[in-house]
Amino acid sequence: MRAMHRAAAIFLAATTALGAHAAGTVRVVTKDAAGMPVADAVAYVHSLDASTPVHPPSEPVAIIQRDQEFDPYVTPIVVGTRVVFPNRDNVQHHVYSVSPAKKFEIPLYIGESTATIVFDRPGPVTLGCNIHDWMVAYVFVLDTPYFAKTGADGIADISNLPPGRYRLEVWHPRLAGKVGLELTVVEAGDTTQVVSVTLRPDRRIRRAPDTGGVGYK
Amino acid sequence: MRSTGSFPVILTVLALASPRAMADGPYVSISEAVTWQDNVTNAPSGDGIRSAFELESGASVNWVRSIDFSTILTAGVTADVDVCPPYSGLNSLSAGPSVDVRRKLGLGPFAPVLYAEIDVRGAGFVDPERSNVEADLELGLTQRIRDDLQLVLGARTGSYDARDIVFSGNFASLKATVNWDVDETWRLKIIGGWRSGDTVSDYTAMKSPYGWVAVDPDTQYLPGAWHFVRTFGDPFVAYRESVRTWSCGAGISPALGRHTSLALQFMRFDSEGYDRYYEDVVSVSLEHHF
Repeated sequence: MRAMHRAAAIFLAATTALGAHAAGTVRVVTKDAAGMPVADAVAYVHSLDASTPVHPPSEPVAIIQRDQEFDPYVTPIVVGTRVVFPNRDNVQHHVYSVSPAKKFEIPLYIGESTATIVFDRPGPVTLGCNIHDWMVAYVFVLDTPYFAKTGADGIADISNLPPGRYRLEVWHPRLAGKVGLELTVVEAGDTTQVVSVTLRPDRRIRRAPDTGGVGYK
Repeated sequence: MRSTGSFPVILTVLALASPRAMADGPYVSISEAVTWQDNVTNAPSGDGIRSAFELESGASVNWVRSIDFSTILTAGVTADVDVCPPYSGLNSLSAGPSVDVRRKLGLGPFAPVLYAEIDVRGAGFVDPERSNVEADLELGLTQRIRDDLQLVLGARTGSYDARDIVFSGNFASLKATVNWDVDETWRLKIIGGWRSGDTVSDYTAMKSPYGWVAVDPDTQYLPGAWHFVRTFGDPFVAYRESVRTWSCGAGISPALGRHTSLALQFMRFDSEGYDRYYEDVVSVSLEHHF
């Protein structure tokens, strides 16, 4: 925790303001070191006053494969959520993860896969395709119901928060270190947090052709 | 040669005839290249050295089929047109089937991939004696060391049967390539290779009472087959030689989007047979996968 506080002191420039948004909402504005908005970051809070149970949705969440890429790139879900991986390409994919939070593979298939994967442990899960090495996506499994993903504007609204004290954290696939801070949500109050994060370079496996041919490259 | 060609032809036909649900594709790709060779004649001495630009256009159509979770079969056909403006005798049209099998030993981008590739190609040259049928087999390994670093090792053997024995031969080669993706756009490439086998070396010729012979008197005693050629304008005698070649080079390749890349590459070849000769090759190429 101390390390997290130190990280927060280094990476977070937090400003808090009471606004006119819906009650019990924390608006997280995520920016990188250059002050540019950070998309695909997951902002989430844990209550410091009481444990909060999570209820996975009844319908599975879909992560689609299209144009030999995963869509969406980042998918935040709660523990126990079922995820399906429909393949909308005309080529086969072999979806897998070797992440500690969830190891699985769905061998070669095309179209709608019958496999449903239950993500039963919190933590980040990196997805890949064993045929197309450049394909990558992330599932971030949470043990709190209070979370949101930033859009292209770097903004994520975590809503329906009961009044109380919370610990806010932000996760991103390229995040260097952990970031987090404590905040208080007052009754009928909105809070805006500007979070500055340091991101590692975006190093993905190159997709552009090399010397021709298809298949494993 | 003709018997070795039947295997990939049959596999290709089977792959092309596969129902859509069983084979992915077709994958179409095209390539364009401009190549400059400073010693296109493979000549050991100064007066026989000729340099040339060559323009190459290629297209391939491939189908991919999964054999099991870890094994992919790719089969298709490739066609190339090579144009050498200063020496039209080297202009050629070639085409043929290829079959490639790749097996990944594990899960994820860092698992090694073993591959075997068979190519059969018929080539027609403006100089008809050069026209040939070639069959190659390559076995190799690709290993990604990091997200941005990949090693490719390949061993190839092949045989080409031309209309004239001078332009026929066999070879075996080894090649190692390291690809380093500096960032999302730029790739640096380092290549090293070795080849042993037949090649054609050209010597300037003069008219003698016995017909055209090489100017270099040492070549009078060369044991290999030879042939007078008009390919290079001036009189030349082409010899088939058994040569060992070391090669090294480097390249830079920017990605122009997800499906297109450009490459600038330099290669130096150091060959030793009866004589020793060098060749530098610079190429600019563009490849696009539809």
